[in-house]
Amino acid sequence: MNVEEAIRSRRSIRAFTDQQVPREKIEKVLEISQRAPSGTNTQPWHTYVCTGEVKDAISRDVLELVEKNAARKYEEYEYYPTEWKDIHRDRRRGVGWSLYGLLGIEKGDRERTARQSKRNFTFFDAPVGLFFTVDSYLMRGSWFDAGLYMQTVMLAARGEGLHTCPQAAWITFQEPIFRHLGIPDDQVLVSGMAMGYEDTSAIENTLVSEREDVANVTHYIGFD
Amino acid sequence: MKVSDAIKSRMTVRQFLDKPVPEATIREILEIAKRAPSGGNLQPWTVHVLTGEPLNALVRDVEEKQNSGMTEEPEYNVYPPELIEPYRTRRRVVGQALYDLIGVPRSDTPGKLKQLARNYRFFDAPVGLFFVLHRQMEIGQYADVGMFMQNIMLLAREYGLDTCPQEAWARWPQTLKAHLSLGDDEILFCGMALGYKDEAAVINELVSEREAFENFVTLHGF
Repeated sequence: MNVEEAIRSRRSIRAFTDQQVPREKIEKVLEISQRAPSGTNTQPWHTYVCTGEVKDAISRDVLELVEKNAARKYEEYEYYPTEWKDIHRDRRRGVGWSLYGLLGIEKGDRERTARQSKRNFTFFDAPVGLFFTVDSYLMRGSWFDAGLYMQTVMLAARGEGLHTCPQAAWITFQEPIFRHLGIPDDQVLVSGMAMGYEDTSAIENTLVSEREDVANVTHYIGFD
Repeated sequence: MKVSDAIKSRMTVRQFLDKPVPEATIREILEIAKRAPSGGNLQPWTVHVLTGEPLNALVRDVEEKQNSGMTEEPEYNVYPPELIEPYRTRRRVVGQALYDLIGVPRSDTPGKLKQLARNYRFFDAPVGLFFVLHRQMEIGQYADVGMFMQNIMLLAREYGLDTCPQEAWARWPQTLKAHLSLGDDEILFCGMALGYKDEAAVINELVSEREAFENFVTLHGF
């Protein structure tokens, strides 16, 4: 698969089959992805890969926190803006409404909205869950590096016939994740990620989220 | 190009050929790259693409300011002031490997600074890109910009192009604000050189090291 196909076919998959991913495949994806660039080659990311019982235990404990409404934000920094500009709020809502519309969930149907949102925490039934961290004293430059790396993982996964879903949803539920995976508390969660094989019969996987017209976000300077 | 080959062949190129990149190619790359994911589909990036006279004017401006000893206050720290291990060593090793390759002795600080300053010429690349975010964005959106930029770097390989992502530009926020006409609510994050690799340049032989698998991955339940 070439780069363009990998980029175009990568999308957030929200229903996976129960087909297992061979460990060698995961290792191959991560081995290639380590070539991602990072500022002064610091390679600031740590990757935790889980499957089976550990993964189930994380899901169980996080879902318990979700039931209790016990989401916890980072103490030291914000993940998202505290106040939204219209353009970003609209994009954020847009993708949510497209997803719920596709699933036939009506606006205001909190129960079904919550149920769909909770599917994040079973990795949308994917057999493999990944968590990416950086040391918490590191700064935005290293979060940026983690992004370079995560996109490399997602594209390398496409090259192996795998699909992914990057999941910021996990960040407010760090405690059980860190406990089950033995992650040192001087690290901070950048993102979770589901990995596996796409359930091609699932309607939610037909969602292709919108993208801004490139002309609206690009300024060409000095070209004819 | 296979995606795995693009990942493996992408490297930081520090000497480009004097060969223009067609605007249509850049447009195609950005059109495909915008499929990058971002939390809440925010797409928190805007891109400025420079070539020709505006690029030269920026290069000249920074060069003159450097020659007159001027500096600007960076708006943020890319890294913590004190990097701990293993990051400090990784940074030192890649720097040392670079200077060894081009024959700059360890003690030659002016020689090192001269090489560093080549960032501000985009290493002679014909195209420079800048990535800008809205100021209200928080740390999560910087990871999103990383995902977007890696798309661009990998697509560049597919088009026979190479890149150099450059955080060094963060040292010239006011100059860039003026040259790019950035708004007060925008923040410049990163630059990138784009062009054709000079295969004859020794400096492009540098392949930086990467940690062994077990040093960055922990497997659970396998």
